[in-house]
Amino acid sequence: MKKNYILIILLFILSKNGLSQLAKIELQATGLTCSMCSLSIQKQLQTIKEVDSIYTNIETSTYFIILKKNNKLTPNIFKEKVEKAGFFVGNFIATANLDAMDKNSYILVDDCKLNNTEIKFHVIDKGFVTAQEFKKLSKQYKRIQTYTSNNENDFHIKLIEP
Amino acid sequence: MKSCLTLLIILLTQSIFSQELFVITDPASNLPTNSMSVNVMNSIFIENTADINYHLMPEISYGIDKNLMVRSSFFLSNRNNHLYLEGVNIMGKYRILSIDDLHSHFRMAAYGRYSMNRADIHQEQIEIVGHNSGFETGLIATKLNNKLAISSSLSFEYATDNKPNYIFPKEMGNKAMNYTVSFGRLIYPRNYNNFNQTNINLMVEFVGQTINKTNKTYADIVSAVQFIFNSQMRIDLAYRKEIVSSMLRSAPNGVYMNLYYTFFNLSKN
Repeated sequence: MKKNYILIILLFILSKNGLSQLAKIELQATGLTCSMCSLSIQKQLQTIKEVDSIYTNIETSTYFIILKKNNKLTPNIFKEKVEKAGFFVGNFIATANLDAMDKNSYILVDDCKLNNTEIKFHVIDKGFVTAQEFKKLSKQYKRIQTYTSNNENDFHIKLIEP
Repeated sequence: MKSCLTLLIILLTQSIFSQELFVITDPASNLPTNSMSVNVMNSIFIENTADINYHLMPEISYGIDKNLMVRSSFFLSNRNNHLYLEGVNIMGKYRILSIDDLHSHFRMAAYGRYSMNRADIHQEQIEIVGHNSGFETGLIATKLNNKLAISSSLSFEYATDNKPNYIFPKEMGNKAMNYTVSFGRLIYPRNYNNFNQTNINLMVEFVGQTINKTNKTYADIVSAVQFIFNSQMRIDLAYRKEIVSSMLRSAPNGVYMNLYYTFFNLSKN
Protein backbone atom coordinates (compact mmCIF):
# COMPACT_ATOMS: atom_id res chain seq x y z
CA MET A 1 0.00 0.00 0.00
CA LYS A 2 2.77 2.36 1.07
CA LYS A 3 4.75 1.54 -2.08
CA ASN A 4 1.72 2.32 -4.20
CA TYR A 5 1.39 5.76 -2.71
CA ILE A 6 5.04 6.56 -3.25
CA LEU A 7 4.76 5.34 -6.82
CA ILE A 8 1.72 7.51 -7.47
CA ILE A 9 3.45 10.53 -6.01
CA LEU A 10 6.63 9.88 -7.95
CA LEU A 11 4.74 9.34 -11.17
CA PHE A 12 2.88 12.53 -10.57
CA ILE A 13 6.02 14.54 -9.95
CA LEU A 14 7.75 13.03 -12.97
CA SER A 15 4.89 13.47 -15.36
CA LYS A 16 3.76 16.88 -14.18
CA ASN A 17 6.76 18.47 -12.64
CA GLY A 18 4.88 21.39 -11.19
CA LEU A 19 1.48 22.30 -12.49
CA SER A 20 0.47 25.92 -12.20
CA GLN A 21 -0.05 28.53 -13.60
CA LEU A 22 -2.28 29.78 -10.86
CA ALA A 23 -5.43 31.45 -12.12
CA LYS A 24 -7.58 32.02 -9.03
CA ILE A 25 -6.93 31.97 -5.31
CA GLU A 26 -9.38 31.79 -2.47
CA LEU A 27 -7.68 32.31 0.85
CA GLN A 28 -9.00 32.66 4.34
CA ALA A 29 -6.95 34.56 6.90
CA THR A 30 -6.91 33.74 10.60
CA GLY A 31 -6.67 35.74 13.79
CA LEU A 32 -8.74 38.78 12.83
CA THR A 33 -12.27 40.11 13.17
CA CYS A 34 -12.10 43.78 12.26
CA SER A 35 -12.47 45.50 8.91
CA MET A 36 -9.29 47.53 9.53
CA CYS A 37 -7.36 44.25 9.82
CA SER A 38 -9.07 42.89 6.68
CA LEU A 39 -8.12 46.03 4.80
CA SER A 40 -4.48 45.72 5.85
CA ILE A 41 -4.38 42.22 4.30
CA GLN A 42 -6.14 43.43 1.15
CA LYS A 43 -3.63 46.27 0.80
CA GLN A 44 -0.74 43.80 1.13
CA LEU A 45 -2.27 41.48 -1.49
CA GLN A 46 -2.73 44.42 -3.85
CA THR A 47 1.03 44.96 -3.92
CA ILE A 48 1.41 41.73 -5.92
CA LYS A 49 1.54 43.06 -9.46
CA GLU A 50 0.20 39.82 -10.95
CA VAL A 51 -3.07 40.31 -9.06
CA ASP A 52 -5.87 41.35 -11.37
CA SER A 53 -8.68 41.82 -8.86
CA ILE A 54 -9.66 40.96 -5.30
CA TYR A 55 -13.09 40.46 -3.83
CA THR A 56 -13.14 40.36 -0.02
CA ASN A 57 -15.68 38.87 2.34
CA ILE A 58 -14.84 40.80 5.53
CA GLU A 59 -17.22 38.72 7.63
CA THR A 60 -15.33 35.48 6.95
CA SER A 61 -11.90 37.08 6.26
CA THR A 62 -11.86 35.41 2.84
CA TYR A 63 -10.13 36.88 -0.21
CA PHE A 64 -11.10 35.84 -3.74
CA ILE A 65 -8.19 36.74 -5.98
CA ILE A 66 -8.12 36.66 -9.77
CA LEU A 67 -4.61 36.55 -11.18
CA LYS A 68 -3.30 37.89 -14.46
CA LYS A 69 -2.49 35.38 -17.20
CA ASN A 70 1.02 34.00 -17.67
CA ASN A 71 2.04 34.70 -14.10
CA LYS A 72 4.68 32.54 -12.43
CA LEU A 73 3.43 32.94 -8.90
CA THR A 74 3.56 30.20 -6.30
CA PRO A 75 1.36 30.04 -3.18
CA ASN A 76 4.26 31.36 -1.07
CA ILE A 77 3.80 35.00 -2.05
CA PHE A 78 0.22 35.04 -0.73
CA LYS A 79 1.26 33.51 2.59
CA GLU A 80 4.08 36.01 2.88
CA LYS A 81 1.78 38.98 2.25
CA VAL A 82 -0.86 37.86 4.77
CA GLU A 83 1.87 37.38 7.37
CA LYS A 84 3.30 40.82 6.60
CA ALA A 85 -0.09 42.25 7.52
CA GLY A 86 0.27 40.49 10.87
CA PHE A 87 -1.98 37.50 10.29
CA PHE A 88 -1.87 33.92 9.00
CA VAL A 89 -3.42 31.85 6.23
CA GLY A 90 -5.96 29.33 7.53
CA ASN A 91 -7.27 27.95 4.25
CA PHE A 92 -5.85 28.17 0.74
CA ILE A 93 -7.64 27.05 -2.41
CA ALA A 94 -6.16 27.58 -5.86
CA THR A 95 -7.40 27.06 -9.38
CA ALA A 96 -4.60 26.29 -11.80
CA ASN A 97 -3.99 25.35 -15.40
CA LEU A 98 -2.37 21.93 -15.66
CA ASP A 99 -0.86 22.60 -19.07
CA ALA A 100 1.09 25.62 -18.01
CA MET A 101 4.29 24.30 -16.53
CA ASP A 102 6.70 25.89 -14.12
CA LYS A 103 9.60 24.73 -12.02
CA ASN A 104 7.77 24.32 -8.75
CA SER A 105 6.72 20.98 -7.41
CA TYR A 106 3.14 20.30 -6.58
CA ILE A 107 2.67 16.98 -4.87
CA LEU A 108 -0.69 15.31 -4.90
CA VAL A 109 -1.27 13.65 -1.55
CA ASP A 110 -4.26 11.52 -2.47
CA ASP A 111 -4.73 8.91 -5.12
CA CYS A 112 -6.89 10.40 -7.87
CA LYS A 113 -6.95 10.94 -11.60
CA LEU A 114 -6.46 14.29 -13.28
CA ASN A 115 -9.01 14.57 -16.06
CA ASN A 116 -9.33 18.29 -16.60
CA THR A 117 -6.79 20.86 -17.65
CA GLU A 118 -8.11 23.25 -15.02
CA ILE A 119 -7.95 21.87 -11.50
CA LYS A 120 -8.94 23.23 -8.10
CA PHE A 121 -7.00 22.22 -5.03
CA HIS A 122 -6.26 22.89 -1.39
CA VAL A 123 -2.68 23.59 -0.41
CA ILE A 124 -2.17 21.75 2.86
CA ASP A 125 1.39 22.67 3.81
CA LYS A 126 2.37 24.40 7.03
CA GLY A 127 1.35 28.04 6.86
CA PHE A 128 -1.53 27.31 4.45
CA VAL A 129 -3.79 25.64 6.99
CA THR A 130 -4.40 26.46 10.66
CA ALA A 131 -1.79 25.21 13.13
CA GLN A 132 -4.32 22.76 14.54
CA GLU A 133 -5.20 21.42 11.10
CA PHE A 134 -1.52 21.03 10.24
CA LYS A 135 -1.01 18.87 13.33
CA LYS A 136 -3.83 16.58 12.21
CA LEU A 137 -2.59 16.45 8.61
CA SER A 138 0.97 15.70 9.72
CA LYS A 139 -0.28 12.53 11.37
CA GLN A 140 -2.45 11.65 8.39
CA TYR A 141 0.34 12.12 5.86
CA LYS A 142 3.34 11.03 7.89
CA ARG A 143 4.06 8.47 5.15
CA ILE A 144 4.83 11.32 2.74
CA GLN A 145 8.35 12.36 3.57
CA THR A 146 8.25 15.62 1.67
CA TYR A 147 5.18 16.68 3.66
CA THR A 148 6.81 16.41 7.03
CA SER A 149 10.10 17.93 5.84
CA ASN A 150 8.37 21.29 5.19
CA ASN A 151 10.40 22.31 2.18
CA GLU A 152 8.96 25.68 1.25
CA ASN A 153 9.15 25.04 -2.49
CA ASP A 154 7.12 21.83 -2.32
CA PHE A 155 3.38 22.28 -2.27
CA HIS A 156 1.25 19.39 -1.12
CA ILE A 157 -2.18 19.55 -2.63
CA LYS A 158 -5.52 17.89 -2.29
CA LEU A 159 -7.84 18.04 -5.27
CA ILE A 160 -11.33 19.45 -4.92
CA GLU A 161 -13.84 17.63 -7.07
CA PRO A 162 -15.37 19.92 -9.70
CA MET B 1 -18.10 51.42 40.64
CA LYS B 2 -21.17 49.21 40.54
CA SER B 3 -22.17 50.60 37.16
CA CYS B 4 -18.65 49.95 35.87
CA LEU B 5 -18.88 46.32 36.94
CA THR B 6 -22.33 45.99 35.38
CA LEU B 7 -21.02 47.41 32.12
CA LEU B 8 -18.13 44.98 32.26
CA ILE B 9 -20.43 42.01 32.83
CA ILE B 10 -22.66 43.14 29.96
CA LEU B 11 -19.60 43.37 27.74
CA LEU B 12 -18.37 39.93 28.70
CA THR B 13 -21.66 38.14 28.33
CA GLN B 14 -23.06 39.84 25.25
CA SER B 15 -20.03 40.36 23.10
CA ILE B 16 -20.46 39.11 19.60
CA PHE B 17 -17.96 41.34 17.92
CA SER B 18 -15.04 43.18 19.36
CA GLN B 19 -11.89 45.06 18.62
CA GLU B 20 -8.57 45.43 20.24
CA LEU B 21 -7.73 48.92 19.08
CA PHE B 22 -7.67 50.23 22.61
CA VAL B 23 -7.48 53.89 23.50
CA ILE B 24 -4.72 54.11 26.07
CA THR B 25 -3.17 50.65 26.07
CA ASP B 26 -1.56 48.73 23.25
CA PRO B 27 -2.64 45.27 22.10
CA ALA B 28 -0.06 42.53 21.46
CA SER B 29 -0.71 42.87 17.72
CA ASN B 30 1.35 45.29 15.67
CA LEU B 31 0.95 47.56 12.69
CA PRO B 32 1.20 45.81 9.30
CA THR B 33 4.65 45.71 7.71
CA ASN B 34 5.57 48.89 5.87
CA SER B 35 2.51 50.77 7.12
CA MET B 36 2.51 54.00 9.07
CA SER B 37 -0.08 55.35 11.41
CA VAL B 38 -0.39 58.89 12.61
CA ASN B 39 -2.20 59.53 15.88
CA VAL B 40 -3.09 62.93 17.26
CA MET B 41 -4.08 62.47 20.87
CA ASN B 42 -5.75 65.38 22.63
CA SER B 43 -6.60 65.26 26.31
CA ILE B 44 -8.16 67.69 28.70
CA PHE B 45 -7.65 67.02 32.40
CA ILE B 46 -8.92 69.01 35.33
CA GLU B 47 -6.15 69.90 37.79
CA ASN B 48 -6.76 69.75 41.55
CA THR B 49 -6.38 73.50 41.45
CA ALA B 50 -9.38 73.60 39.06
CA ASP B 51 -7.11 74.65 36.18
CA ILE B 52 -7.84 73.00 32.89
CA ASN B 53 -4.87 71.17 31.52
CA TYR B 54 -4.60 70.51 27.76
CA HIS B 55 -2.20 67.89 26.43
CA LEU B 56 -1.43 67.36 22.77
CA MET B 57 0.38 64.17 21.88
CA PRO B 58 1.11 63.57 18.20
CA GLU B 59 2.65 60.20 17.44
CA ILE B 60 3.89 58.27 14.43
CA SER B 61 4.08 54.47 14.35
CA TYR B 62 5.68 52.27 11.71
CA GLY B 63 5.60 48.52 11.08
CA ILE B 64 9.16 47.40 10.31
CA ASP B 65 8.29 43.76 9.77
CA LYS B 66 5.53 41.36 10.70
CA ASN B 67 6.72 41.25 14.33
CA LEU B 68 8.34 44.61 15.04
CA MET B 69 6.92 48.11 15.18
CA VAL B 70 8.34 51.40 16.39
CA ARG B 71 6.70 54.59 17.55
CA SER B 72 7.75 58.11 18.30
CA SER B 73 5.59 60.49 20.36
CA PHE B 74 5.79 64.15 21.25
CA PHE B 75 4.27 65.69 24.37
CA LEU B 76 2.95 69.22 24.42
CA SER B 77 0.90 70.89 27.13
CA ASN B 78 -0.40 74.28 28.15
CA ARG B 79 0.61 73.98 31.81
CA ASN B 80 2.84 77.03 31.34
CA ASN B 81 -0.02 79.02 29.82
CA HIS B 82 1.10 78.40 26.28
CA LEU B 83 1.54 75.23 24.25
CA TYR B 84 5.00 73.95 25.13
CA LEU B 85 6.94 70.90 23.95
CA GLU B 86 7.67 69.07 27.19
CA GLY B 87 9.06 65.80 25.97
CA VAL B 88 9.57 63.04 23.42
CA ASN B 89 9.29 59.30 23.57
CA ILE B 90 10.45 56.36 21.47
CA MET B 91 8.95 52.92 21.69
CA GLY B 92 9.50 49.49 20.17
CA LYS B 93 7.14 46.53 20.38
CA TYR B 94 7.96 42.98 19.33
CA ARG B 95 5.39 40.23 18.92
CA ILE B 96 6.84 37.16 20.57
CA LEU B 97 3.96 34.70 20.32
CA SER B 98 1.04 34.13 17.95
CA ILE B 99 -1.42 31.30 18.28
CA ASP B 100 -4.00 32.12 15.62
CA ASP B 101 -7.07 30.21 14.57
CA LEU B 102 -10.00 31.00 12.28
CA HIS B 103 -11.86 33.20 14.72
CA SER B 104 -9.45 33.57 17.56
CA HIS B 105 -5.94 34.44 18.50
CA PHE B 106 -3.71 34.58 21.52
CA ARG B 107 -0.75 36.86 21.11
CA MET B 108 2.01 38.18 23.30
CA ALA B 109 4.37 41.06 22.78
CA ALA B 110 7.28 42.61 24.65
CA TYR B 111 7.83 46.34 24.52
CA GLY B 112 10.16 49.02 25.74
CA ARG B 113 9.99 52.80 25.70
CA TYR B 114 12.32 55.61 26.56
CA SER B 115 11.24 59.16 27.30
CA MET B 116 12.85 62.52 27.77
CA ASN B 117 10.79 65.18 29.49
CA ARG B 118 11.71 68.66 30.73
CA ALA B 119 8.48 69.60 32.52
CA ASP B 120 8.31 70.15 36.28
CA ILE B 121 7.65 67.01 38.34
CA HIS B 122 4.36 67.69 40.05
CA GLN B 123 2.94 64.32 41.11
CA GLU B 124 3.86 60.99 42.70
CA GLN B 125 2.38 59.02 39.83
CA ILE B 126 5.10 58.00 37.39
CA GLU B 127 4.10 58.47 33.79
CA ILE B 128 6.85 58.49 31.20
CA VAL B 129 4.18 58.99 28.54
CA GLY B 130 3.87 62.72 28.96
CA HIS B 131 5.24 63.57 32.42
CA ASN B 132 8.52 61.94 33.38
CA SER B 133 11.84 61.11 31.82
CA GLY B 134 12.72 57.43 32.12
CA PHE B 135 12.03 54.05 30.63
CA GLU B 136 9.40 51.37 30.75
CA THR B 137 9.47 47.74 29.73
CA GLY B 138 6.69 45.21 29.81
CA LEU B 139 4.71 42.31 28.40
CA ILE B 140 1.29 42.37 26.75
CA ALA B 141 -1.04 39.41 26.26
CA THR B 142 -4.13 39.70 24.06
CA LYS B 143 -6.79 37.06 23.64
CA LEU B 144 -9.40 37.25 20.91
CA ASN B 145 -12.04 34.56 21.06
CA ASN B 146 -15.27 34.48 19.08
CA LYS B 147 -14.59 38.15 18.46
CA LEU B 148 -14.29 39.12 22.12
CA ALA B 149 -10.93 40.78 22.81
CA ILE B 150 -9.35 40.94 26.24
CA SER B 151 -5.91 42.39 26.68
CA SER B 152 -3.68 42.70 29.70
CA SER B 153 -0.24 44.11 30.35
CA LEU B 154 2.33 44.23 33.09
CA SER B 155 5.24 46.64 33.02
CA PHE B 156 8.10 48.07 35.03
CA GLU B 157 8.59 51.82 34.89
CA TYR B 158 11.64 53.79 36.01
CA ALA B 159 11.68 57.56 36.25
CA THR B 160 14.77 59.75 36.13
CA ASP B 161 15.34 63.50 36.53
CA ASN B 162 13.48 65.77 34.16
CA LYS B 163 16.62 67.45 32.88
CA PRO B 164 17.85 70.11 32.87
CA ASN B 165 15.88 71.80 35.65
CA TYR B 166 13.88 69.27 37.63
CA ILE B 167 15.38 66.58 39.85
CA PHE B 168 13.19 63.61 40.71
CA PRO B 169 12.34 64.08 44.43
CA LYS B 170 14.16 61.40 46.45
CA GLU B 171 11.31 60.86 48.91
CA MET B 172 9.02 59.72 46.09
CA GLY B 173 9.71 56.27 44.69
CA ASN B 174 10.98 56.36 41.11
CA LYS B 175 10.24 52.74 40.27
CA ALA B 176 6.75 51.38 39.71
CA MET B 177 4.79 48.43 38.41
CA ASN B 178 1.93 49.11 35.99
CA TYR B 179 -0.91 46.79 35.15
CA THR B 180 -3.76 47.12 32.68
CA VAL B 181 -6.80 45.10 31.62
CA SER B 182 -8.79 46.13 28.54
CA PHE B 183 -12.01 44.95 26.94
CA GLY B 184 -13.42 45.94 23.55
CA ARG B 185 -16.57 45.25 21.61
CA LEU B 186 -17.82 46.21 18.17
CA ILE B 187 -21.44 47.33 18.41
CA TYR B 188 -21.98 48.46 14.82
CA PRO B 189 -22.24 47.11 12.15
CA ARG B 190 -23.82 43.76 12.96
CA ASN B 191 -22.54 42.36 9.68
CA TYR B 192 -19.66 43.61 7.60
CA ASN B 193 -20.51 44.31 3.96
CA ASN B 194 -17.73 46.56 2.82
CA PHE B 195 -14.72 48.56 3.94
CA ASN B 196 -16.62 51.86 3.93
CA GLN B 197 -19.03 50.96 6.71
CA THR B 198 -18.53 53.05 9.82
CA ASN B 199 -17.63 50.87 12.80
CA ILE B 200 -18.54 51.81 16.34
CA ASN B 201 -16.69 50.17 19.21
CA LEU B 202 -17.11 50.36 22.96
CA MET B 203 -14.07 49.95 25.15
CA VAL B 204 -13.47 49.66 28.86
CA GLU B 205 -9.95 49.77 30.21
CA PHE B 206 -8.57 49.51 33.73
CA VAL B 207 -5.18 51.03 34.40
CA GLY B 208 -3.25 50.81 37.66
CA GLN B 209 0.13 51.55 39.19
CA THR B 210 1.96 50.72 42.41
CA ILE B 211 5.09 52.65 43.40
CA ASN B 212 7.63 50.10 44.63
CA LYS B 213 9.18 52.22 47.39
CA THR B 214 6.05 53.67 48.98
CA ASN B 215 3.49 51.02 47.99
CA LYS B 216 1.18 53.86 46.93
CA THR B 217 -1.33 52.79 44.33
CA TYR B 218 -3.90 54.13 41.94
CA ALA B 219 -6.46 52.53 39.65
CA ASP B 220 -8.42 54.26 36.89
CA ILE B 221 -11.21 53.24 34.57
CA VAL B 222 -11.27 54.50 31.01
CA SER B 223 -14.46 54.10 29.03
CA ALA B 224 -14.46 54.95 25.36
CA VAL B 225 -16.47 55.04 22.21
CA GLN B 226 -14.55 54.62 18.98
CA PHE B 227 -15.54 55.35 15.40
CA ILE B 228 -13.71 53.84 12.45
CA PHE B 229 -14.28 55.36 9.02
CA ASN B 230 -13.39 53.60 5.76
CA SER B 231 -11.41 51.02 7.78
CA GLN B 232 -8.58 53.53 7.84
CA MET B 233 -9.42 56.49 10.08
CA ARG B 234 -10.27 56.23 13.74
CA ILE B 235 -11.69 58.69 16.24
CA ASP B 236 -11.72 57.83 19.96
CA LEU B 237 -13.70 59.72 22.57
CA ALA B 238 -12.80 58.56 26.06
CA TYR B 239 -13.35 59.48 29.67
CA ARG B 240 -10.84 58.62 32.38
CA LYS B 241 -11.90 58.43 36.02
CA GLU B 242 -9.94 57.58 39.12
CA ILE B 243 -11.41 54.63 41.04
CA VAL B 244 -8.94 54.48 43.94
CA SER B 245 -5.72 56.29 44.76
CA SER B 246 -3.34 56.65 47.67
CA MET B 247 -0.86 58.83 45.79
CA LEU B 248 -0.63 62.46 44.83
CA ARG B 249 -1.86 63.00 41.30
CA SER B 250 -2.31 66.44 39.85
CA ALA B 251 -5.07 65.71 37.33
CA PRO B 252 -6.47 62.18 37.39
CA ASN B 253 -9.84 62.78 35.68
CA GLY B 254 -10.29 63.92 32.14
CA VAL B 255 -11.26 63.26 28.55
CA TYR B 256 -9.40 62.13 25.43
CA MET B 257 -10.11 62.85 21.80
CA ASN B 258 -7.83 60.93 19.47
CA LEU B 259 -7.58 61.04 15.72
CA TYR B 260 -5.82 58.12 14.11
CA TYR B 261 -5.02 57.46 10.46
CA THR B 262 -3.23 54.50 8.84
CA PHE B 263 -1.20 54.80 5.65
CA PHE B 264 -0.80 51.33 4.15
CA ASN B 265 2.22 50.17 2.11
CA LEU B 266 4.53 53.16 2.14
CA SER B 267 6.90 51.63 -0.39
CA LYS B 268 5.96 49.18 -3.10
CA ASN B 269 7.77 46.06 -1.88
